[in-house]
Formats: sequence, structure tokens, C-alpha cells
Amino acid sequence: MAAKKNEKDMTQKEKAALIDIKIDELGQQLVKEIEAGQNPHLDIPIRGSGNVFYDAKAKQIMLGDKIAKRYLFNVAHSRRFMQTLLVASYVKKDLLANNLTATLRDLYYAKKHTIAGTKEDTIDEQKESDGAIVDLEVSLDTFRERLHLRAEPKGRMAGTLKVKDRVRDKVDTIDLERMGSGGWAVPSIVEQIEFVDSEIEYVLVAEKNAIFDRLNEDDYWKKNKCLLMTTAGQAARGARRLLQRISAELKVPIYALTDSDPYGWYIYSTMKYGSMALAHESERLGCPEMKFLGMSTSDIEHYDLSAVTIKAKDIDIKRAQEMKAYDWFKTKEWQAEINLFLEKKLKAEIQALSSKNLQYISKEYLPDKINAQDFLP
Amino acid sequence: MAEKKAAQEKETEKAPSRDELEKSFKEYSVAEFFKKNRQMLGYSGKIRSLTTLVHEFVTNSLDSCEDAKILPEIRVEISQLPDEHYRLVVEDNGTGIPKKNVGQALGKLLAGTKFSNRAQKRGQQGIGAAYATLFAQITTGKPTKVKTGLGDGRVYECQVSVDVKSNEPSITDEKEYAGKFKGLRIEAEYAEVGYNRSEYGSYEYLRRTALANPHAQLSLVEPDNQITVFPRASKDIPNKPKNVQPHPLGITTSDLMDMAQVSSARKISSFLVSDFTRVSADKVKELQSLMPAVDLERAPKALAWSEAEELVKNFQKVKWIAPETDALIPIGEDQLEKSLKNLLEPEKLKVVERKPRVFRGGIPFSVEVAIAYGGKSGQHVGDARKGELTRFANRVPLLFDAGNCAITEAFKSLDLNRYDLKEFETMPVTILVNFVSVYVPYTGAGKLAISAEEEVVSEIKFALMEAARDISQYLHGLAKAEEQERRRLIFFKYIKEIAQALEDVTGRKASVLEPKLKKIAEERTAFLEAQEEGDPDAEKELEDIEEQFEEEVKNDG
Repeated sequence: MAAKKNEKDMTQKEKAALIDIKIDELGQQLVKEIEAGQNPHLDIPIRGSGNVFYDAKAKQIMLGDKIAKRYLFNVAHSRRFMQTLLVASYVKKDLLANNLTATLRDLYYAKKHTIAGTKEDTIDEQKESDGAIVDLEVSLDTFRERLHLRAEPKGRMAGTLKVKDRVRDKVDTIDLERMGSGGWAVPSIVEQIEFVDSEIEYVLVAEKNAIFDRLNEDDYWKKNKCLLMTTAGQAARGARRLLQRISAELKVPIYALTDSDPYGWYIYSTMKYGSMALAHESERLGCPEMKFLGMSTSDIEHYDLSAVTIKAKDIDIKRAQEMKAYDWFKTKEWQAEINLFLEKKLKAEIQALSSKNLQYISKEYLPDKINAQDFLP
Repeated sequence: MAEKKAAQEKETEKAPSRDELEKSFKEYSVAEFFKKNRQMLGYSGKIRSLTTLVHEFVTNSLDSCEDAKILPEIRVEISQLPDEHYRLVVEDNGTGIPKKNVGQALGKLLAGTKFSNRAQKRGQQGIGAAYATLFAQITTGKPTKVKTGLGDGRVYECQVSVDVKSNEPSITDEKEYAGKFKGLRIEAEYAEVGYNRSEYGSYEYLRRTALANPHAQLSLVEPDNQITVFPRASKDIPNKPKNVQPHPLGITTSDLMDMAQVSSARKISSFLVSDFTRVSADKVKELQSLMPAVDLERAPKALAWSEAEELVKNFQKVKWIAPETDALIPIGEDQLEKSLKNLLEPEKLKVVERKPRVFRGGIPFSVEVAIAYGGKSGQHVGDARKGELTRFANRVPLLFDAGNCAITEAFKSLDLNRYDLKEFETMPVTILVNFVSVYVPYTGAGKLAISAEEEVVSEIKFALMEAARDISQYLHGLAKAEEQERRRLIFFKYIKEIAQALEDVTGRKASVLEPKLKKIAEERTAFLEAQEEGDPDAEKELEDIEEQFEEEVKNDG
């Protein structure tokens, strides 16, 4: 933890230099093995159900300490080994050295070419280079953003808050009260963002764009002194990281608003606890203090929405059964909710509230829930 | 001719003796019978009929050469004539046939010399060549042209046909002149036959004959004038088969009947003692006591079918001394090896020769198996290869009726998986099985397949297993070597990319790293037993998450 604190105080340039050194060390280690006539290898922590556990105290899905050795001279490994080194070379030589960031797709195109003397490409599909990127992340014990790689940005926000953003050396102060109907797009890398002039009392994260637009039109964030955000489906890394930073730095509660179905609940759990595939990043991306505002299956009854429900599909049932077994869904409240869902087999969208009237959500549902502190853990 | 016939008829009318009657009846029926039942002798289907004709002449030629210790040179020429007629010419360098015997040998059914003498020979019935003459006659109406020389400076030519009614040869156009020709040349024209290179055709027949007869040089001129020579691989002429009398346990009713007809013994009892091995007067007494109703003191020719049947049945009840086994003449390990190397040029060859065994309680036999892999092995189908099982009985290829054969049955009972022959159907493999015995238990008169006697099948199976084990080991090594090469190529492919990436990362020159990486790659693929490093469980888990990760990335955008 001490090392992390130090890192936090570092400037962007110092952080980049640290990764540069880590990649160099990795390379030197391989050169050493080659010169000793050994089979060069990378130590890559295993990401998978067998090496993932739930840390109940930290409220995080964590990566275990199982490590796989990936050897250059092993037919099953050599291609991926090569791809991982291509990623390392690109990050160090092209991105860090020039202080540039790139998308995963940029990297894919930059490193894809036909291997001399063969008909084989270094990378066939982007998912291969994406996988190699994660390999490098975990073996350097760092994360994608530090490698100057960004995913497609996703998510928008508006609220009584100002942020400072930086594009290379240019700094912009953005007033999130003045973002019009569309809101401010959350960038894919948010490490450089600073929060200023916060007047927010909480953050409301909606799964759906439509809800953001509804509440923005209703001036919900202004009337309630909060920050409104949409993740537009499964939350992207930028949005998750930003939520965590707001939670930690501004110390305000964060409430999630999703459809009443297993898919929505899983989006919530990913934001809160992290995910299995990115378990190595839970510490950085998880938001353990987040609370679930709605919608739950019990909301359907409580708010008299039975007439506007959707019948659950087999895949929803299966997903719910799986989720019921996850350690991070083992609280009695969630178990009861999931059981209720499995019993009723009914889903509801947030927009179902519009069946009462268009502003029912901003004037009745949300204030009602927040005042009563009617949340799920 | 007509006069003679008329005279015969007149004589017959007068006072035919019992013997004469039987004789004429028998001879009359033989030619007529075979005319009506040609499929029994292999004359069914156009391709097969031609193959059968080639077979009859070639086996006779080989036997004739071996008798005289001559290295056989046999030339077969097949040409197509108008109206789907075919001309077949078979010429050998054997002993030739004395002028006075030509008619007997080629124009009279059941008159061959092989019938009464039981050696391990290719043909056994003495019907073959004469029936070929008859076949030409039936299908084209033309006689068979014969040219023969004994090596005494005289050459004899004639045309032969069979008088179907009397089973007597008819000889015309005789010529005799001085010449150096030695051997036998047969030329005949047939219809209802056909030619192609299928596995039932004459080409295949000769190819297989060459495999089993390394001392012979065979050549074939096909209808398209293509000439193929199957060269001689060895100058060792097989030992002359020892004449052995049949053992009572190895006889069938029909054989017994045939023997009785030609025996010179005066009584059935003495016929049994003189014409069989291991039959003593005491044993005959024992037999007589088992079948008191049959009078064994009658002439052998008087033996009725039902009596012969009873005799054969009672043979099984008497205790016999086993027959000698030194009459068996296998091709031999050495000869087979030479032959297959010569014709197939295989990458790997295994020959197995098993010790003689007995079947039916007393008939000696032995089994030889060779398996060749690679080179020209296997059946060639266009550019592709097919694994082939070639069956032989006393060196004679068996091309037909594979489904009923002991050899096929033994092969089918093999677990091909265990011998790395799972892909047999598409592998360059030739399996040769030669069944060696004085008495081959054919399934029928056409001599197409060996009857699946239990002892025979299991002995063939053992031989196949023994040979297959060696081939399997070789294939295993081959597969490993291939795998090593595959790995080496994979490693080498990525070395350049990796060296360059490492230079980008560490500044260490790729040109320095590359040769070092190549050296490690070489070392790691040099040994067949080299193990891949890495934890298989960890590997599986890495695979496990790929899917999950993909979904995550999709969501991540």
C-alpha cells in the first residue's frame, strides 16, 4: 500500500518512466535467459475462475497468486509469447517514448503484419492482441491506462461539479453544470482528471442512456445536488475508474439504477466488486461503497408495476442461478431478491415507471427511495 | 473324325463295358458341366474372366520353369480386337510341351499331370489350361494357337480345341520346323472378357505374382501398348516341391472321388494305402470296422459319392500320425524382402515367417506376412494411395472373393488403432499374406479364397500382429520426427519478430539475439523425447478465460 501511495503522488511523466523501467526489466530478464541458453519465459498470473476469489473484507473480486509460465519454446505458447513482446515493444518505443496514447485497435493495426518467410500474420484478430495486452498488464502488475492504451470511451455525466482535464499539456476546466442535453463524455483514461468545486451530495449511475436523458431534461441533478451518469450498458473502464475516484476522493455515496433483471444487477456488481476477467484491476476499478437503488424485483410489487413486466427468458433464469452462487451476492438481501426473481420469473425496465407518468421517476421514485434509504447492499 | 465318332457310337451300342460307360460318362460330363458352370472356375465378369485366363497360363509357366530349375521369364500381351474381342498371348521360357502331350495338356479337361501328384503347386486340378481352350472356343469359336520347343532345335506349332462331347483334343494346322525357340507360347482370342487396371485386372494379378515370385521376370503389354516389366529380384529358384501323398485328414469328398477315378490300385483298400500318406493296412481295417456296410474290396472306380462321404467322415475318427511338414515351401524371409524392396522400394519393411502348424487336426501349413510402408507401397488410385491387403495361396495371388477369405478375416480382427494403421485406407501400405500348404482349403472350385478355419485365421492374425508391431514402431517414430519438425518450424518462424521486439525494448541488437535463439530452438527440438515445459493445468485455465475475456472486452468497448 505504501508503494501505491508514492505512485499516486507521482506526475504523469514519472509514472510513464516507471512503466518504461518495468518493461525494460522484463526485456533484460528475457535477454539474460537467452544468453544463458535457457528457454525464455514470462510469468503470467492466471486469470480465470480457478484463480479468482472474493475478498469479503475489501468487498472485491481478487486475483489469486497462481502463476503460469509462458515459454517461447513451447508450441502452445510461442505465438502468444511473440504477441506479448510485440505489445511491449509498441508500448515502450511508440507510446511511452512519444507520450502518446493509442486505442487497442491502433495497436492491433500497428503490430499486425505478415511474418517474413511465412503466410502467417503476427496477429489475426484484434482479440489476440487484446489478450496479449492483458498478459503484459498482469505480468508487469500494472493496468492498461499506464501502458498508454485506451478502450473506446463510453458513458456521460452532468451535475454540480467541475473537473479539470488534460490533453497532453493543455488543461481544460469543465463545468458539468453546463453540458447541455448530451452531458460530458467520460474519457477512456481518467487518471489525469481532477475534481474542483464539488457541490454534489451523491452520484446516481444509470445503466441506460434513456434514463440519463430523462433525468437531465427534468433538471434532476440541479434540484438534488448530485452527479448524474450513464454507463450505457456494461460500464467501461474509464467510467468505473472515475466512479471509484469520486467515491474515494469526494466521499459521497454512489447509487446505481438498472433494469430489474439479472443483466442489470450484474452491471451493478461489476462496478462495485470488479469482474472475474479483470480481477487484477478490481482494486483500481471497483467501487465497494456503491449501493443499489433499483430496480429490484420487490420494486415491481411495491410500485405496482406488475402490468408492465416482461417474462424472464431461460437465459435470465440461468444467469440468476449462477449469480445466486457467487460469493459477492451471498448477502441475505440479494439472496432474497434473486429467489423472488426465480419465483416470479418477471423482469422490468426502468422505463416501466413511465407507465405512471413521464416524471414519476424524478419526482416520486428516486426521492422516495433515497429518502427512505431503500437500497440493496 | 465323323467316322471315328460313328464307329465309337457303334461300338458303344454293341457291348459297352461298365468301365467304358463310366469313362465316357465322366468325360462327357466334365466338359459339359464346366461349359454350363463357368463361374465356378472364375469365368464370371469380363475383367475377371481375362484375369483368370492370364492366371491359368502364368501359373502353368511358373510351375514348368520351377520343375526344370529355370529362371522364369514370362511375357503377357493383351490386345483389343474389333467387336470387343481380346487377344491374349502368353510366352514363357520353360521346358515346353512334347508334341505328343500338347493335346492332353491343352485340349482335354482333367488330364493335367498335376492332378495325380500332390505337391505344393500353384494349380491343383488340371482343368485350367484346357478350360481356357474351351473358353476361346465357346466365346469366339476359334482354336488356341500353340508354339512350343523343347530346346532340341525343333519347334512345333499347332491349333488346339476341345471336342466337348468326347472331351478329346482336336489338333489342326500342325507345323514343325527347325528353330531355337524353347518354351511355350499360347495365343488365343476371347470374347466376353475385358481389361482395365482395377484391383481385379490382369495388371494387378501380374504385379502381385511378381511380389510373391522374386525369381520370375514378368512383363505385360497392355491394350494401349504400354509395356510394364516387373523385374526379377532374386536368382534363387524355389526348391522343387516334394511330392507328398494326401493325408486322410486333409481330403474332401470330391477330392477322394477324383483320386479314386484315376487310381491305378485295384481295390479301394489298397488305393487308400498306396495313394495316401500314413494309411496302413491296419488303419484300413479300423476304417472297415467303422463302416461295415461298405465293401472296400471293390475297384476304386466303383466308389460311390455317398461312400466317399462316409469314408471322409470316418477318417476324422481314426488316430493318424501327423503328415510331414518338410513339404512346405514358403517364399522365405530373405526372398520376400528382396522382392518387396525391388518392387515397392519401401521406407520400412517387415517380413514375418511363422513355423508350420496344422489345421483340421493334421494338415500342415505355414504363414508368411510382409508389410511394406512408404515408397511405392499401397494401391495407387490416381495420385492417391490406398492401403492394400494382398492375399496369396502358395504364391498365387487371390484377387477375388476377399470377404470370404481367412486372410481378410484375420486382418479384420486386428485392432488397427493399436498398430498406428488407423488410416489404413489412405496409407501407402502393402500387406502381403502368403498361405503355404500342400492342401489349400479353398472355399470353392474357383480357388478365390481360403476357408476361414479357426487355426488358419488365428495363425495369420499372429503373423500380422508380429509384422504390424514393427511397422507401428516405425510409424510412431515417424510421427514423432514429424512433430519435432513441426515444432522447430513454429519456433523458427517467431524468432525474428521476437529478437526485433527485444531490441526495441532493451536495446540489445536483434542480430546478436537471433542466432542465440535459433541455437536454443535447435537444442529444444533435437531430441525426440524432449518435453514441453509448462503446467498443463495452468495452460487450460488460461484457455478458460479467453472466452470470458472476449465478452468483457466487448462490453468494455
